[in-house]
Amino acid sequence: MARVQYQRSLDDLEASFQATGAIVLRSIRGVVDALRTQDVELCDEVIAFDDEIDARYVATETDVELLLARQTPVAGDLRLVLAVLHAMIHLERMGDQCVTIAKLTKLSSHLGTRGAVVESLGDMGERCYEMVHVALQAFAARDAEQARSLHELDELVDRANRQVFEQVLGYAGDPDALEWGMRQITVARCFERIGDNAVDIGEQTAFLVTGEFTEFTDASH
Amino acid sequence: MDQPTASSPAIDSRRIGELAGAPADDVRAREAVFAIDDLSVQYAGSLALKGTTLDIHKNAVTAFIGPSGCGKSTFIRCLNRMNDVIPGARVTGKVLYHGRDLYGADVDPVEVRRRIGMVFQKPNPFPKSIYDNIAFGPRMLGMKKGLDERVEQVLRHAALWDEVKDRLKENALGLSGGQQQRLCIARAIAVEPDVILMDEPASALDPISTARIEDLVHELKREYTIAIVTHNMQQAARVADMTAFFSVEVREDGSGRHGILVEYDLTTKIFTNPSDKRTEDYVTGRFG
Repeated sequence: MARVQYQRSLDDLEASFQATGAIVLRSIRGVVDALRTQDVELCDEVIAFDDEIDARYVATETDVELLLARQTPVAGDLRLVLAVLHAMIHLERMGDQCVTIAKLTKLSSHLGTRGAVVESLGDMGERCYEMVHVALQAFAARDAEQARSLHELDELVDRANRQVFEQVLGYAGDPDALEWGMRQITVARCFERIGDNAVDIGEQTAFLVTGEFTEFTDASH
Repeated sequence: MDQPTASSPAIDSRRIGELAGAPADDVRAREAVFAIDDLSVQYAGSLALKGTTLDIHKNAVTAFIGPSGCGKSTFIRCLNRMNDVIPGARVTGKVLYHGRDLYGADVDPVEVRRRIGMVFQKPNPFPKSIYDNIAFGPRMLGMKKGLDERVEQVLRHAALWDEVKDRLKENALGLSGGQQQRLCIARAIAVEPDVILMDEPASALDPISTARIEDLVHELKREYTIAIVTHNMQQAARVADMTAFFSVEVREDGSGRHGILVEYDLTTKIFTNPSDKRTEDYVTGRFG
């Protein structure tokens, strides 16, 4: 095969994307555990972890810039480079959402927890973990069908998000519970965004495989 | 102005679409200047190009890419009957030019080459003045009226006028390689052709001269139909509307190899999402 160095650069780029995905999975696992156990130290670890994700994103951007400048990828190679760049942005945002969840968990830890909402949030986090896992797997396997399945998984996350909102509405008569609950609505919103970002990565996989970009869902409808 | 009502909303998604830019003009909808059907070429009994079928569209740039020996130059040489002058060359299949058989018995090859000009890899100006290089063709064809104006107009068209206007009587061989190639393009358009065929027109030029030729190709396609053979894939990606990828096929009986058309599509498709694995391997540099 010709262009050995070039192929190595493409392989490295994709490996770096998958490695970043693995770190994001650890962050999600971290915030879910921290939420369930109200572990403030674990929250700090997740927050610190995000620097690693950010650094990897910046490094990928530089790698992509060099690849475009030096190797002029076209066709499937070009789609891979573009898909990795986009997917990395989504991973970076997931990292940010995990930081927000960790900070909110710390901020509200003194307000005590309410079991039903924590359970709902924990379930949401598990589903998000599963979605990111599927998104990374589908990308690696170039499996557009599996990528499309993320849309159905995301609907479950959206439903859980609405459920948390309903649960918090029930705290209307209890000021302490309400303050805590309102922070949890934001936590639920962060998980909901992680689900969306996993769908976005799925869309990049479909683009990589088919050459056509389509949104799995249309936000205007 | 009418006020928006419930039945005529102020925001019309179709209008937003129009504002965002009209759909790209698809050159494939344009008239086919050449309709080529099952074109094969043999040299001294040996097959060089096998069964090629494609249309070349008006005012479009069509690029022909592929590895050495894939038949791309052989192919475009069929479009102005340049293969006629090669002893032992045999062309089969149909080449319709504006619906007329280019190889018909009543067709004059000299008239064909006036209507379908050609620019070669190596600039080949006549060893004459810059002026005479341009004036030669029109003079031969009796287009003698307003010759000075024609020379100026054609040199301007080829983006060469400003560089040569004070030295028109000097020998063309004194020009740089890039200028010589633009002179050859000017010479080709001086006889008012319909089509310009270019066989590796920039492969012997430096990057700046290459960029000038590419800019010129962009300008010229407004008035002419252009077919360009190039080894430089990025050049095809930059200048062409349509791209044809040719490859080499080894005959099963071991009697040799010949060129075949693998894929022909919009350039954007060929370089972002080709349909054939062989095209993908070639444009990404994995093969050839």
